[in-house]
Amino acid sequence: MSTTEISPLVRDLRAALGSDRVLHAPEDLLTYEYDASIDRAVPDVVVLPTTTEQVADAVRIATEHGVPVVPRGSGTGFAGGALAVQGGVLVALTGMNQIREIDAENRTATVEPGLINLQLQEALAPLGLEYAPDPSSQRICTIGGNVGTNSGGPHTLAYGSTVNHILGMEVVLPGGRVTRFGGRQLDAAGIDLRGVFVGSEGTLGIVTAITVRLVRKHEVIRTMLAIFDTIDDASEAVSEVIRRRVVPMAMEMLDHETIRVVEPRVHAGYPLDAGAVLLIEIEGTAETVTHDTAVVVAACEAQLAREVRVAEKKSEREALWEGRKSAIGALGSTSPAIYLLDGVVPRTRLPDVLRQILDRSAAAGFRCANMFHAGDGNLHPTVLFDPSEEGATERVLELGGEIMQLCVEAGGSITGEHGVGVEKRSYMSWIFSESDLEAMGRVRIAFDPTGLFNPCKVLPTGHGCAQGHFPQLEKHLETSGVYV
Amino acid sequence: MSSPTEISAEVSANIAAMRVALPPGIEVDVASFDVDGDTPSLAVRPTTADEVASILRHATDHGIAVVPQGGRTALSLGRPLNRYELALDTTGLNAVIEYAPDDLTITVQAGVTLHSLQAVLGEHGQYLPVDPPPDDRITVGGLLATARSGAWRGHLPAARDLVLGVTVAMVDGALATSGGRVVKNVSGFDMHRLHTGALGALGVIVGASFKVAPQPASHHTTVLRCSSIAEAGTLARAIWDHNLTIRAITVLGHAAAEAIGLPSVSAILVEFAGIEEATTRSVGRVTELAQSSGARAESADDSLWTKLRALGEELPDSVLLRAGVPATSVAPLVEQAESQNFATWGHVAAGAVWMRSDEATASQITALRTTAEAAQGFLQIESAPRLVREQIDPFGETERELVRALKEQFDATGTLNPGRWMAGV
Repeated sequence: MSTTEISPLVRDLRAALGSDRVLHAPEDLLTYEYDASIDRAVPDVVVLPTTTEQVADAVRIATEHGVPVVPRGSGTGFAGGALAVQGGVLVALTGMNQIREIDAENRTATVEPGLINLQLQEALAPLGLEYAPDPSSQRICTIGGNVGTNSGGPHTLAYGSTVNHILGMEVVLPGGRVTRFGGRQLDAAGIDLRGVFVGSEGTLGIVTAITVRLVRKHEVIRTMLAIFDTIDDASEAVSEVIRRRVVPMAMEMLDHETIRVVEPRVHAGYPLDAGAVLLIEIEGTAETVTHDTAVVVAACEAQLAREVRVAEKKSEREALWEGRKSAIGALGSTSPAIYLLDGVVPRTRLPDVLRQILDRSAAAGFRCANMFHAGDGNLHPTVLFDPSEEGATERVLELGGEIMQLCVEAGGSITGEHGVGVEKRSYMSWIFSESDLEAMGRVRIAFDPTGLFNPCKVLPTGHGCAQGHFPQLEKHLETSGVYV
Repeated sequence: MSSPTEISAEVSANIAAMRVALPPGIEVDVASFDVDGDTPSLAVRPTTADEVASILRHATDHGIAVVPQGGRTALSLGRPLNRYELALDTTGLNAVIEYAPDDLTITVQAGVTLHSLQAVLGEHGQYLPVDPPPDDRITVGGLLATARSGAWRGHLPAARDLVLGVTVAMVDGALATSGGRVVKNVSGFDMHRLHTGALGALGVIVGASFKVAPQPASHHTTVLRCSSIAEAGTLARAIWDHNLTIRAITVLGHAAAEAIGLPSVSAILVEFAGIEEATTRSVGRVTELAQSSGARAESADDSLWTKLRALGEELPDSVLLRAGVPATSVAPLVEQAESQNFATWGHVAAGAVWMRSDEATASQITALRTTAEAAQGFLQIESAPRLVREQIDPFGETERELVRALKEQFDATGTLNPGRWMAGV
């Protein structure tokens, strides 16, 4: 281990948290220099708190030293939200991972921010309860991270994003003061600060305890696989289902490119020759499920589905979902690099926008796989490429920007669930005016007058933040092939 | 009608200057805009977002206090105003901007009433699944500004879950939009959720986009007569646990039951909504559950819900309280409030208990708040005479410093609803 001079910042943090909770040696910091995005940034210090008091101490000390504070969960974010782009103190919350309470009768649970999403689901399953948000990364992402990005997932279609499921929070504010928003009820008293805090990507404070809403598992769950010859037909079927007044729990699409890669690896049961499949889930009382299933089947058939298969057994259902949830990993293993995008369009624009995305990708000379939350119009085009090929990285990034533009032109958004982070700060002005952004800036200042909390994230301005430029991006892509 | 509130020569001069700056035809009679017995010096009814923004800018320039109002159903929610000079009537903002039935989204101006909105959506078999008290006179802007929810909350989403984006007129005359018109969106801060429940203290909502839903194919109401509130509470939670096709389970104290035309007994109102086959079986199952616990189930008229919502009406001499408590604490709180002569009803799944009394004392309100807080909940005064709201903080213990900082950022000179949140805010 190299000898590192102890800075006054490290000294103060050690005094408050204990030496074993403060990392500052360069080799220890390397683990924390990346998330699931392209860029990298090394923090000056990493702290590993296990209590709210320790988080508050770290924040207070960082503020006293005038250095940035960056909260971090599992580091699974795609937008660079957990990167310490201006250095400072990175607060790694994975050590605060306890379930403090499950109140089954009142359908709430209180957890710490570092708890893994799936671990909460596993604890709830025996009680017949669920925490509805189920991001595809739920095996590794944390509830605190879900709060930070207002995560979605396949079941967002019926249940809404994370914000709809957060009842109360304990928060360490910039400066170190500890406060609470909301409580244990759906509706709060006074100004509801939960809503603006959820999805603020660590720029307004650090959440140290979260009370979530739980839902009871439905009587019947039915998962279907609708198989189409073309992606157009599958997209039309999504609108057709909604038009027939059924909103399924989830409606996920996988296109041919994705199926071709995923099926041989996962054996989910997707036909290799399909142009696209829709994974549709219906939940409810037995009668409702029977009714809605018939509507979905008819709607898919009306839009030329080749076949609609209903998963009969739990294992079949699980296999269908396994294919969806492991799609990104499978795509990643088949190409030297992939670039995963996140955009939203009104769902009626899906056929048209998807067609354009595929055309643009082909014109740019790339394969583009699509597996996404079709019911919400939340696209995840995934561009496969080889960074060692000259100019490929540049062209991929350019294509990514073009695809985001297509979403915006269709009346959509630049992110449905991954967040803005550093990656999309420069795109914010495509959908928001100066006044819009200024209003957001006012919230930022009200919470964090010093601007030290997760600087250079979300909003396209900030002291010393280069706008829309990622210095390490190209180099990193070329050397690692890690996807965004 | 009360006489116009005494104003200083300075304010008077400012009002005169402001009046000159107003677009023609926008001014309306002040007579129908009393708040807490105060009549404003000026009332305007703009029809565009730009007009609202311009009015706010002029008001800020001239130091004029503005109170935005739509359906005027919740004006005594919050502390009494410090100043009130200009009534900003939002009901002229009544256009549907864009309705995309196949996307299940709609964008409207903020003065559209819930009634009009539901009528437009109803043509396509859709609706905004909210039922705030007291009725559909509430405007979209009011629905958001108050964040009020009704019996469906707990089974269906609330306004804060359904709002996709808003456009807000700021006190400096800017128009700021957040979110968008798509159903899933995490770009930037959710300003629309900040303004939801902010009582118009940070800006005036001039337009909003919502996610809407298909109307249920059928619905049915059942009333369960119980021997006590405690029994009603236990039965209500058992029904909730069965996860049937239900969109409301509300426990009624005897006074509330009587107020909506039922016999004076403890009761549960259950609303079933969904496809016919599912509601039919659900009604059957609830009837069995009721019988096995000694309660009596009978079909009831849907109008009971309308009457129950109307109990949430703002009345001049009446106190209306709303508590939020865990589901297990709903029945005990209903029981306590009943014993203090409040007509009381509680939506079990949302843990929302509403209480109304024409004779409530400050000590009674404080005692009920203590109970709610002991159950890790809260109690908010939804409506009460001015004196009560001067004596007791309508919101109880909530985060204040941040609210003050937000007000400072959004409305430093106190143009909007001054004093409604707290002194100086």
